[in-house]
Amino acid sequence: MFHALYTAASGMTAQQINLDNIANNLANSSTTGFQARRVQFSDLLYQNEVMPGAAATQQTTVASGLQIGLGTMPGNTEIIQLQGDLSSTGNPLDFAIQGTGFFQVLMPNNQIGYTRAGSFQPDAQGVLVTANGNALQPAITIPPNATNVTIGSDGTVSVTLPGQTQAQQVGTIQLASFSNPGGLNAIGNNIYLQTTASGNPITGVPGGPDGLGTIQQGMLEQANVNIVDEFVNMILAQRSYESNSRVVKAADEMLQGLNQLAQ
Amino acid sequence: MDSGYYAACTAMASRTRALDTIANNLANASTPGYRAQHNVFSSVLAEAGDETESSLNKAMNNYGIMSGTTLDRTQGAIQKTGNDLDVAIQGSGFFVVQTANGSMYTRDGAFQVSANGQLLSAAGDPVMGEKGPITILPGRLSISADGTISSNGAVAGKLKLVDIAAGAGLTSVGGTYYSAPESGETAAVGSLVQQGSLENSNVNPVTSMVELITAQRSAEMMQHALSMFNSEMDKTATQDLSKVG
Repeated sequence: MFHALYTAASGMTAQQINLDNIANNLANSSTTGFQARRVQFSDLLYQNEVMPGAAATQQTTVASGLQIGLGTMPGNTEIIQLQGDLSSTGNPLDFAIQGTGFFQVLMPNNQIGYTRAGSFQPDAQGVLVTANGNALQPAITIPPNATNVTIGSDGTVSVTLPGQTQAQQVGTIQLASFSNPGGLNAIGNNIYLQTTASGNPITGVPGGPDGLGTIQQGMLEQANVNIVDEFVNMILAQRSYESNSRVVKAADEMLQGLNQLAQ
Repeated sequence: MDSGYYAACTAMASRTRALDTIANNLANASTPGYRAQHNVFSSVLAEAGDETESSLNKAMNNYGIMSGTTLDRTQGAIQKTGNDLDVAIQGSGFFVVQTANGSMYTRDGAFQVSANGQLLSAAGDPVMGEKGPITILPGRLSISADGTISSNGAVAGKLKLVDIAAGAGLTSVGGTYYSAPESGETAAVGSLVQQGSLENSNVNPVTSMVELITAQRSAEMMQHALSMFNSEMDKTATQDLSKVG
């Protein structure tokens, strides 16, 4: 049977996965701190009928060989590490990271999760938590009667209490970064977990020499999805799917013709 | 049996083979750094090596087969991705990666970094610098046009770029890797790298579609030729000729 049928099928499957990924990027284009992904493809193995460089005669070698490729496969979905746009929200407890760092939050199973979505709010005890109730690490408690919360460029959080003129420090926000952020495990809700591929987190205060980035108060980082790019990729995926299905049709018609020969 | 029957048969087999290559090119139209394959058809002369053989006999026994595939080495379009670890090559060069099966060459510059900071290919094999594998230093990565990798001004290494001479036996091994004997490798001349971009596959969808239609139609022609031999000529030979006289 023709390989072409299976080869084209691999191309169609790959473009389906590509479209799934584009759909997820577009669906999350308004998700705070979302990082878009891109599917990386690679070619499958080759059937070598004649190896290039094989001996053609005793004196000469084959210049190009006869290699039949067997299709394509999606290799991985790479996380795009571009900075998302910062939008001003005016909420003093919204933080955006300008740089490569992540906020650390405590997950229900005591694992540390990493996120770039910096929309925090105090819980009943005044501890800063994410929208899902995961506490920022190291924990920062805002006194309920605080009138003003300020974050320094180095991550120090200070509050002003009623009747006091001097601001009072209540903690320091630390950021984490990874030598291979592309190897983080996304578990949804804007949270990433560390893996052996991402390496151990490098933690430090914002604005430090580790290149973790700085924190902007009153801002949120928008998803780094580029709508135009996604649409272009969607068109390419669709057309590529069509051209692969055209190959299936051609292979089918050739086989049909062969069957008619025997009649 | 008529030799034309076999000639049409061989030609049809070679067109179905050609379809396999065309299908692979189209399937890999989105694979970064993929090099299109072109089909090479040639004729095989079935002869006894007898110099006195008539030219008519030679023409009748001349079969068309698909004898090989060549790699299209033309530059693919460079697409901006914005990822600091994506590198596209402008020019004829290849990156060198160290795999379990020895050095391989690739133009897929979608690199990543291992947990201990080593620069890896998309498939996870160390990318070679001019002084061996490259370990990335922390901080924002910058890659200059000549392949020098630095973070915050500190140089971590320089990407090794090589040219593979035409005819050196560049072989596709899958995973956008190519292999060639190391003797065919020379330092790349005139190749520049571009950070934050990837080189697309150099498959031309228009050419591929034309090739597809040509292969399909020429297979149809061979089918007609075959059925002609089958139904008309052989029928005449077996049924009608016996009635003569």
